[in-house]
Amino acid sequence: MSVVFSSGEVRERYESGLAALRREFDYSGNGVAVVSGRTALVDDVVLTCYNQLVEKEIVPPNCVSIVALGGYGRGSLLPHSDVDLLFLFRDGKHEAAYKDQLSQIYLDLWDLKIRASATARTVVECGKLDLENPEFTVSLLDSRFLIGDRELFDEVRNKVLPALMRKSGTALMNLVCQSARTRHAKYANTIYHLEPQVKEGPGGLRDYNLANWLALAKSFRASGLWPAPESLFRFPLRAELNSAFDFLVSVRCFLHYRNGRDDNQLSWEAQDAAAEKGIGAPSVSIQPAQWMREYFRNARTIHGACLQLMDDAMRTPASLLDKLRGIPRRATGTKSDAALSTILQLENEPSWKTALAIFQRMALEPLQLSVDAQRLLRASASQFASASAKPAWPELSPILVGRFAGSALRAMRDSGYLDVLISELKLIDALVIRDYFHRYTVDEHSILTIDTLHGLRSSESEWAQRFAEVLDELDKPEVLYLALLLHDVGKGVEGEDHVVGSLRIAKQVLVRLNLDPQDQDTVLFLIRSHLEMSASMRRDIFDSKVIGALAAKVETPEPLKMLTLLTYADISSVNPEAMTDWKAETLWHLYASTANFLNRHVDEAIVHGTLDSDASGKFHSFPPQLAKQMQPFLQGLPQRYLKIYSPEQIVQHFSLFSKLQHGGVELSLLPDRDLYELTIVAADKAGLFATIAGALSASGMEIVKANAFSNSSGVAVDCFYFKDRFRTLDLNASEHEQLKEKIARILRGERSLDELIRSRSGLRRSTTPKVQIETRILLENESSTHNTVLEVVAQDRPGLLYQIAQCLMQLGCNIEIALIETEGEMALDVFYLTVDGRKLSIEMHNRLREELQEKLGDDLA
Amino acid sequence: MGMTKIEAIIQPSKLEPAKEALLEIGVEGMTIIEVRGHGRQKGHTEIYRGREYTVDLLPKIKLELVLSDELVDRAVQTIISVTRTGRIGDGKIFLSRIDEAIRIRNEERGVSAL
Repeated sequence: MSVVFSSGEVRERYESGLAALRREFDYSGNGVAVVSGRTALVDDVVLTCYNQLVEKEIVPPNCVSIVALGGYGRGSLLPHSDVDLLFLFRDGKHEAAYKDQLSQIYLDLWDLKIRASATARTVVECGKLDLENPEFTVSLLDSRFLIGDRELFDEVRNKVLPALMRKSGTALMNLVCQSARTRHAKYANTIYHLEPQVKEGPGGLRDYNLANWLALAKSFRASGLWPAPESLFRFPLRAELNSAFDFLVSVRCFLHYRNGRDDNQLSWEAQDAAAEKGIGAPSVSIQPAQWMREYFRNARTIHGACLQLMDDAMRTPASLLDKLRGIPRRATGTKSDAALSTILQLENEPSWKTALAIFQRMALEPLQLSVDAQRLLRASASQFASASAKPAWPELSPILVGRFAGSALRAMRDSGYLDVLISELKLIDALVIRDYFHRYTVDEHSILTIDTLHGLRSSESEWAQRFAEVLDELDKPEVLYLALLLHDVGKGVEGEDHVVGSLRIAKQVLVRLNLDPQDQDTVLFLIRSHLEMSASMRRDIFDSKVIGALAAKVETPEPLKMLTLLTYADISSVNPEAMTDWKAETLWHLYASTANFLNRHVDEAIVHGTLDSDASGKFHSFPPQLAKQMQPFLQGLPQRYLKIYSPEQIVQHFSLFSKLQHGGVELSLLPDRDLYELTIVAADKAGLFATIAGALSASGMEIVKANAFSNSSGVAVDCFYFKDRFRTLDLNASEHEQLKEKIARILRGERSLDELIRSRSGLRRSTTPKVQIETRILLENESSTHNTVLEVVAQDRPGLLYQIAQCLMQLGCNIEIALIETEGEMALDVFYLTVDGRKLSIEMHNRLREELQEKLGDDLA
Repeated sequence: MGMTKIEAIIQPSKLEPAKEALLEIGVEGMTIIEVRGHGRQKGHTEIYRGREYTVDLLPKIKLELVLSDELVDRAVQTIISVTRTGRIGDGKIFLSRIDEAIRIRNEERGVSAL
């Protein structure tokens, strides 16, 4: 109960003042006038209360200094914000004598429905940093004298607080930064939320205040003096931050008035209403999506400034400038190191190469752009608009595979460079698509999917670790990352199914990026199928029909791996809780079952009769009669053959087949990225595969991958991919022909393989394995209709494949199909076997298992 | 009018049909929980790259819905009809009495709060 306000005059003044502010806001939508207006109204109440207490001799004059703290201290009181007061006493004696009487002020504020909190401190207490409550010391940075003993306030402001800042300023700012990091992490470190928190979220007003504190502390540290507020930031950042502050304050005022309380969540409904009223925006009414882009633009300015100052304060990571000095010249054209550090400040048109070198570097290291660098890049990006017309895949690809690709892509998005490279991404720039599951804007979700995959290796989750292994096995992870970047771009087109839209848009992007046609197909497949595994997870994943259906869609292991990872990333990036252990486990089992299905059912689908339209379409760039001419060659080969080889490879195999004479052998040897590809077309016979494997191993080649298939006419097409361990082929061009000739002669029986093996030491282990892989052998007759499937998992080592193949040959097993893979130090070999055209008997299973265990185990021992 | 809680443990693949069928008979709200478990149905073993991955506790979905008593029988029959395959592992349904229901927004109580 108030004892001070008997007339109600102050109440009337306060309430009519608030009503006037509200009317003004409803008309103008300008929150800056509201926050300064409410501050003045509360000042009036506090001053009147204090003066009456003094007049009524309840307290003597100058017994206290009443100080405004926090937002109230800054003069930015929002309609429903709390009011923080400090009763500052000379000493404990004064505090004990007058504290209770002064609490009348506090009570009167509550009677006016002002949520006030008051703190009592002595001057000495203000000079101590309480590690448990650093917020109090921080709030002193925003302190403003209201009434009472001015000298007390000046003593704290000019002596006590500076002394504390000199002694503990760095520690204080570190504490504040740590707290901010925790707060940012709560919001997934992104401003791009569908329903942002305008106060606490990244880029919100709390960050604006933090940026001011950090800038103030930095300036004080340098000069030992409190800087003038207007000198905290240089132009044009100062103007940008002021503009962002005005916008966000207007939004918060709007939310407070709309919700009738201190609720700062910018819900979808609030976004609609704010856009309609044109809150904070220059025009009166705009579309919600456009208004939200304006919101994100302002939040980005604050977030960027805040992160840079936090980075400064915490000294980690190092500033961009320092890092850029280390960029090698070749990556940045002809610029010198000295020029590099200032290039963005000195030149109006930073070179395209320099800008991309910055982003490529950002993808490799945990760097952030300074706000000045962001601004300069933004300004320069518009000058490269025509770059979108030229292929940019060689520049984009290394960015996507970098560990910190997400950070680089965000910098590219925020500076406009991503739009220059892929203008279609403008469609989803800061786009809010409302659903009850997604938490982030479409572009942020897409970048988060890439972050998710790059973060797999460092995750402690058992499931993430397993998916990380799958990621490590991909031949071209950059293709998957590009698919992730584009998979939801269709959401930016209204009225069209987003998968259809994404596909249509991605097609034109891929052509412009000039991706290899097969990679284009992979990206389009991933976009087209990006909901397939989620749908399969809602079915019975232990039902072989479900697994078979998925296997039929992915066709080969590589697309399955990519689709699995895409699904994991897509679900994980919907919101932080979306990827539960339950879902991760389900996805893993779906992946493992489908991978097994693919490896164990290769012989089920073979090429019969004329090629289907899919297969024929593959050869569209060749003369129309070619597909027909190839029929005898393709007849009886597994469909897998058509899927894993490019049209050019198949045509080349056909060319070898066409030259093949009775009893002969045709070979080709070509470089394939960091490997060599040896293709052998020959009449299938017992020991063919083992002989080739042995000849390669004896020649010092390390077989990494192999596929062996045969057609209906008994012609085998065996492809071996191997590393040239001793660089024999790399360094001697003539060795190419010699290797081919050597293998051909062995296959024709003109030279002894045993002799070659004896003469070379290629079968000896070259290095000690880093990871011990236990040999595991699986033999089963159930998966395939006509073959026994043998799976061997073993420690990879030179000559392993030859040992296995030799063992199979010695037991009379015919290799119908072989699928050989090496993942790290693990060899994963799958063979489809028959003996005399039939599956292996159980006795033969046991014999083969024993032989293999003995042979492979012996070698390990 | 009394209230009953239905807890149905079902196959994940039956969630969508169950939701749709319940919606058709007028059940609009339910809680869905991802759970793991097994009854007489044994786990599943997959050998991937020579290593055995055994799922002892199979993924299941638990539906929770509180209904006025007059709807309970129809809801139970609906769940059974769309989730039953006749094989082990189809799941179970548990019913229990509910003393009170309160809508947090307006403190409405009883069946009208459902």
